[in-house]
Amino acid sequence: MEYHGLLDSTIPRAMHPVKFDVIVVGGGHAGTEAALASARMGRKTLLLTHNIETLGQMSCNPAIGGIGKGHLVKEIDALGGAMAIAADESGIQFRVLNSSKGYAVRATRAQADRMLYRQAIRRRLESQENLWLFQQAVDDLILEGEKVAGVVTQLGIKFSSETVVLTAGTFLSGMVHVGLKHYQAGRAGDPPSLSLASRLREIDLPVGRLKTGTPPRIHGASIDFSVLAMQPGDEPVPVFSFMGNAQMHPRQVPCWITHTNERTHEIIRAGLDRSPMFTGVIEGVGPRYCPSIEDKVTRFADKKSHQIFLEPEGLDTNEFYPNGISTSLPYDVQLALIHSMKGLENAHLTRPGYAIEYDYFDPQYLKKSLETKKIQNLFFAGQINGTTGYEEAAAQGILAGINAALRSAGREAWSPGREEAYIGVMVDDLVTRGVTEPYRMFTSRAEYRLLLREDNADARLTEEGRRLGVVGEERWARYCEKREAIERETERLKSTWVNPKMISAADSERILGKAIEREYSLFELLRRPDVEYRALLELDPAGMAADSEIAKQIEIQAKYHGYIERQEAEIESRRQYESLPLPADFDYRKIRGLSAETQQILNRHKPETIGDASRLSGITPAAVSLLLVHQKRGFDKEKLTA
Amino acid sequence: MRSDESIAAIATAPGRGGVGVVRVSGSLVPAMMEKILGKRIAPRNASLCDFLDATGGAIDRGIALYFKNPHSYTGEDVLELQGHGGQVVLGMILARCIELGARIAEPGEFTRRAFLNDRIDLAQAESVADLIDASTASAARCAMRSLQGEFSEKVRDLVSALINLRMLVEATLDFPEEEIDFLAEGDAVGKLGSIRDKVNAVLRSAQTGSLIRSGIHVVFAGQPNVGKSSLLNRLSGEEHAIVTDIPGTTRDVIRQSIEIEGIPFHIIDTAGLRESEDPVEKIGIARTREVIERSDMILYLADCSRGLDEEDGKILASLPGLPRLIVYNKADLSGKPAGIEMDGSVRLSAKSGEGIDSLKSRMLELFSLHEPAETQFVARQRHVSALRDADAFLEKAGKATQAEVFAEELRLAQDSLSRITGEFTPDDLLGEIFSNFCIGK
Repeated sequence: MEYHGLLDSTIPRAMHPVKFDVIVVGGGHAGTEAALASARMGRKTLLLTHNIETLGQMSCNPAIGGIGKGHLVKEIDALGGAMAIAADESGIQFRVLNSSKGYAVRATRAQADRMLYRQAIRRRLESQENLWLFQQAVDDLILEGEKVAGVVTQLGIKFSSETVVLTAGTFLSGMVHVGLKHYQAGRAGDPPSLSLASRLREIDLPVGRLKTGTPPRIHGASIDFSVLAMQPGDEPVPVFSFMGNAQMHPRQVPCWITHTNERTHEIIRAGLDRSPMFTGVIEGVGPRYCPSIEDKVTRFADKKSHQIFLEPEGLDTNEFYPNGISTSLPYDVQLALIHSMKGLENAHLTRPGYAIEYDYFDPQYLKKSLETKKIQNLFFAGQINGTTGYEEAAAQGILAGINAALRSAGREAWSPGREEAYIGVMVDDLVTRGVTEPYRMFTSRAEYRLLLREDNADARLTEEGRRLGVVGEERWARYCEKREAIERETERLKSTWVNPKMISAADSERILGKAIEREYSLFELLRRPDVEYRALLELDPAGMAADSEIAKQIEIQAKYHGYIERQEAEIESRRQYESLPLPADFDYRKIRGLSAETQQILNRHKPETIGDASRLSGITPAAVSLLLVHQKRGFDKEKLTA
Repeated sequence: MRSDESIAAIATAPGRGGVGVVRVSGSLVPAMMEKILGKRIAPRNASLCDFLDATGGAIDRGIALYFKNPHSYTGEDVLELQGHGGQVVLGMILARCIELGARIAEPGEFTRRAFLNDRIDLAQAESVADLIDASTASAARCAMRSLQGEFSEKVRDLVSALINLRMLVEATLDFPEEEIDFLAEGDAVGKLGSIRDKVNAVLRSAQTGSLIRSGIHVVFAGQPNVGKSSLLNRLSGEEHAIVTDIPGTTRDVIRQSIEIEGIPFHIIDTAGLRESEDPVEKIGIARTREVIERSDMILYLADCSRGLDEEDGKILASLPGLPRLIVYNKADLSGKPAGIEMDGSVRLSAKSGEGIDSLKSRMLELFSLHEPAETQFVARQRHVSALRDADAFLEKAGKATQAEVFAEELRLAQDSLSRITGEFTPDDLLGEIFSNFCIGK
């Protein structure tokens, strides 16, 4: 990672090296974060994409964040990733969801200008040291035994590397469906990856099919906004990145809301005989939480109306994205159902909606570093691991990029735990439980939800990011400054005391809700549910502005104090055995105390640690006890496993 | 699994008479000693003490032994309370330990701790696997059985009410844009209240044991005319037949219940297991098979003069792989002496009563071999402690002022209940949400 001047060819403008440290295949949200992370760590990185123009493309809705997803974006940001700052530079409507509820479940969401977002990502890619871009589809992997050694492109160009990160999205054997018509594609307007897909099937990685969909797009000039409800962004305008600010945002515009009605639903039902979903043409499993409109109307027949958000695609385009009517019904049905809605009676569709089926690989065959267990040095990230969503993809991308870089530098793999990050929750869910439908993040997936907040993503991950090498000087300096300010102010609150002698009972009741009967520190007072930092300023004018990030952070920590302590105690108690390693190549049939079923589960998953094993479905506490005993004895001692 | 927790268990096999031991291990031991014994006792000295309940009344009087760490079986502080052995008394001592902060040990947990603290050597450790496996299997059987009938129905009802509430709360948190704001419309408080009522109702009945079965299930099999009826009569005649209402089973499955040294043995007759076309009878047969699968041991009766023949082999092969006790009847006719044979089988005469004591002692022996420590009583204690934990979280939920904190307490309540009902994952919860609400854009 250390380089001394131009001879080391670390500047992308120089000719690329003969051998890369990391090759990233795919330029979507996973691929770009992976490539940027690896290059930030000083590894010579090649990003291969079938089309440089679509780097950072939002294939579906033009939005970043939301509940659970916003949490992921802030974590990517804390690791120095691009998604949050790109959203700040391209966001045209920002909101904080759940703002009436507690901090742990609040989440930022930005409507993004598609083009500005792509530009923000591409600019970062092009100016990143150690990163080369090249436009060529990848057709094959170069394997040396059970190890990847590079890739071969469509033109037969060979690139060799230590590691490869594959982020093929929905492109592997992608099949687009509109009504009963279907054709092969990576997404609308892009070719699928067929050679690579069949090559991966040859390697015998466990492959399955999933499905996702997208709605038709509408020309804004044909929408009657005068009859629609307007949904403006929040004031003051939220900011995504730790390094961002509201001045970075382009002009802000509102979204609009309309509804489906009974006529819409009749039109949909009348078209079901030509639906690829309902006639069995599509075999892939779609997400339950992002159902197509035909799915919603069929499964929830008693619901007479569904809310549809009309989201602007950008400032320089008049295209709108109708969020809530993803569909693969035939085009004529799409047109009729759109026209049945208020404000859309004369709408012109600019692009038809469609469903897409694609290959994914069972993530249970991945390590937590996202390296495949079968092929060494090959990493998978994004939709090919069975997830859905830009944020989920980007989060895996940054993790895979970091780990590919670590591997190429001979360093140990890294993956955050379930108690550290939503990224950790996601990876653990994927590798221990696998997927049955496209996986999306929700806060209810995190058992340590009160610890994993948007507001403390920096505190949870930036130090680790610095150690790994993905966090740059500027962010690090600003982070340290914030951390120290919080520590200082917390100390001050803990050592500043008020007692009934200093303050009249009337004042105390007015400010604190009830009079104090003994001496309290300000920090103790802040822990009361109805006492805000702002109130403390009346008792002690030496405090800081109540709306500062520092004051807010201290207030949140004080409010959740008891719960945080309880969750931390739980984590601590698990830690004792959580990270005890299990061998990768052990045959669990040798442990006679385990039932045949348990042996099979362990042999199939080959969990990396006792903690991982304990979370596999079908593993009992008694089985974990046995593993602990064997772990202590040492698995390699034949005598003990007779 | 937390090794900083103190654990307690009945360490002697049930029904063995004489002395019964409750063993506690962990850092709470010194403090518990003061409460249970009213004083601290010196390590490694046998002290005759009263074992006190919460009010200071004596539960039992016996020998207390204190082993200070690391000089104990587990390497932790260990207290052994040797009482008078009856299940009820031992149960009360155990319940007292739990009241004072210990939890019931998992199968094999004492041994596991001993191993992890280097208190047993490699050779001893090799038996750990078998031990844990055997006790896990019996614990699982116990738990399954105690979940039958009314108790299980009530728990299921309670859990589904909790799932319903969690679903609403989690949907509100994770899908704020879906026009479902359950908490705003809110009958959260009402729903929580009714769940707590349910928990308390189940808790009350679980504590009195009225809904949970106890005892050992014995499958009684053999060819016709080997004397099954007379043996049963002999066993029950001497021990006063107990007629009990056992939830989840029917009278025609349990032929008889007898008690040997305080342990109820429920005899399941296999006579009903014949081929049948009658639909009513078929249901009866299925039920009998179910009960047989969940039994603890097989008592197989054969004729002393014939030994085991081909037909016996067929019948035995059709029975599940449980511990078996072969009994040869009609010793009086064969002229061979009654008693326990080298292979563990028992020869007796149901007619004269000779050898019946041998049979009873073998039944107890076989039972205790395969039911180390984990009894119905312990299974019930586990359920009670799970329900209590759940209730404590529900109580906290009632005090929560914020939705995500409310949700957190509900999650922990359900985690506690999942010790009875099995795992309920976040994905299961999401499944509930998606099948009940039309969610997604």
